[in-house]
Amino acid sequence: MLLSVENLRVVYHDVISVLHGVSLGVGEGELLVILGANGAGKTTLMRSICGMIDFYDGKIIEGDVRLGGKSIKALHTTEILKKHRLTYVMEDRPVFWYLTVEENLLAAAQARWDREVAKDLEEVYRYFPVLKRLRQKKAGFASGGEQQMLAIGMALMTRPRILLLDEPSLGLAPLVTEELFRIVGRLNAEKGVTVVLVEQNANAALAIGHRGYVMETGRVVLEGKASELLENQDVREFYLGSGEKDRRSYREAKRYKRRKRWL
Amino acid sequence: MEILQVIFSGLLTGMVYALLGLGIVMIFKASEAFNFAVGEFLVIGAFLFFILFFDLKLPFIVALLGGLGLSGLFAAAVERLTIQPLLGRNPISMTIITLGLASFLRAIVQLVFGAHSYSFSLDLPDLTLEIGDMIFLSEQVWASLLSGCTFGLVMLFLFRTRWGVAIRATSESQAKAMAYGINARLILVVVWSLSAACIAIAGIAISNFGSLTYLTAMVGFRAIPVVLVGGMDSIGGALAGGLIVGLCEAFVGAYIEPMGLIGFKNVAPYILLLLVLLVRPYGLFGTVRIERV
Repeated sequence: MLLSVENLRVVYHDVISVLHGVSLGVGEGELLVILGANGAGKTTLMRSICGMIDFYDGKIIEGDVRLGGKSIKALHTTEILKKHRLTYVMEDRPVFWYLTVEENLLAAAQARWDREVAKDLEEVYRYFPVLKRLRQKKAGFASGGEQQMLAIGMALMTRPRILLLDEPSLGLAPLVTEELFRIVGRLNAEKGVTVVLVEQNANAALAIGHRGYVMETGRVVLEGKASELLENQDVREFYLGSGEKDRRSYREAKRYKRRKRWL
Repeated sequence: MEILQVIFSGLLTGMVYALLGLGIVMIFKASEAFNFAVGEFLVIGAFLFFILFFDLKLPFIVALLGGLGLSGLFAAAVERLTIQPLLGRNPISMTIITLGLASFLRAIVQLVFGAHSYSFSLDLPDLTLEIGDMIFLSEQVWASLLSGCTFGLVMLFLFRTRWGVAIRATSESQAKAMAYGINARLILVVVWSLSAACIAIAGIAISNFGSLTYLTAMVGFRAIPVVLVGGMDSIGGALAGGLIVGLCEAFVGAYIEPMGLIGFKNVAPYILLLLVLLVRPYGLFGTVRIERV
């Protein structure tokens, strides 16, 4: 496993427990999907992996995050990004609204500034041709889909080996989501970037993913190949809106095999 | 003709205020805190220059750069010790810290330099301007020139270099900047140093009008109308606010004070501030928020 999370427990403000022992692994070159309803702890998991958890006054009280066999739990985001080349794209389209599109891309390259920045800029424009057209425009005026593409383009400017994408489809039209995910799939296939995709849009995400986990209230409750998850009765019911027609109550229907994942 | 004299000397003084405003706006944008210790930064900057120039008798340009460098280092230390531990917390706490910092630093300055005034005459080449029947004193021209150049250089740095882009990005959101690998902690230190250097230039320019005492810090309060009139988060606003406050002072000094209202000059900017805020609560040039509709 390239990236592994081992029995992670995280609390906010010393009292609010959000992750109660999450374990998962991501293989080199894999496109992993993490599904989960609101409040399942997906974003907290991402923040813990990329070293931003202390910025939000959270703390890892147990467990470890290992990248390539080394613990990265205690490192700053900047170090993780620079030395281990792991980049986290936050949810809700993390672009700098008052900078132009091109300035946004250059800002993201600040940490690794070298001779190849111009070359990478062209590559980003090749993956996202729409950004080239908008380069002089303030990012705040771009549409939601364009902003999300810009966010992923900015992540590419950091030259990631692992990319964590937090709900990129948030607030986007289905067609835009589809195009975005196609590009993410291409990045994974062509550039060999390992991708962890956190999503609520299970259908679109599992269509490009290799493997997936389902999280619920701070635990991993289900794991499997993307194709298996698409077939799973519970996933179909809760995320895909299909399955047995005569719906029972939500409470009654919650029958994941809740196996604890202690190592 | 007299009115032209008043306008231009107002603008010359305004340039210094604009630089002071820039120092505050930069910190406000990056840390989201209002730096109430601006007056103390100004005095300390001026004193550091004073030591290098008058006590150590270094050449002017060396003393100037050295003084600015030391002011920057000083501000970096202050930021690291007092503001950095609060990163990601409520900016109000940082603002209150700067209030405490102001009292603390004022006391330190008194302790070290005493309460008497130091004569501060730079003997710069005479730049007194005489145009028609207008006359502008050399000190005033120098102050404006120094401030204007500094303002321009800082703008160039912020808008034309990749470090400037990183500073503007961090100013918008520390979290986003960190996520893309920009070292937000380092950027904040740089911003505070830069701001302190700007404030020190203003301090030197102002002290050059006469003398330097720990009370020179009172000029710092003048920065409040400057940034609030212009808009707390607008760099262009700092320039406009500075010039407007300078003009306001000059006009009141020339036309209202002779009517017997001595000292009204010092109050007028605050009255102007009140009027502006009644009409435009975000200041004249407060950032027009990008609204998505």
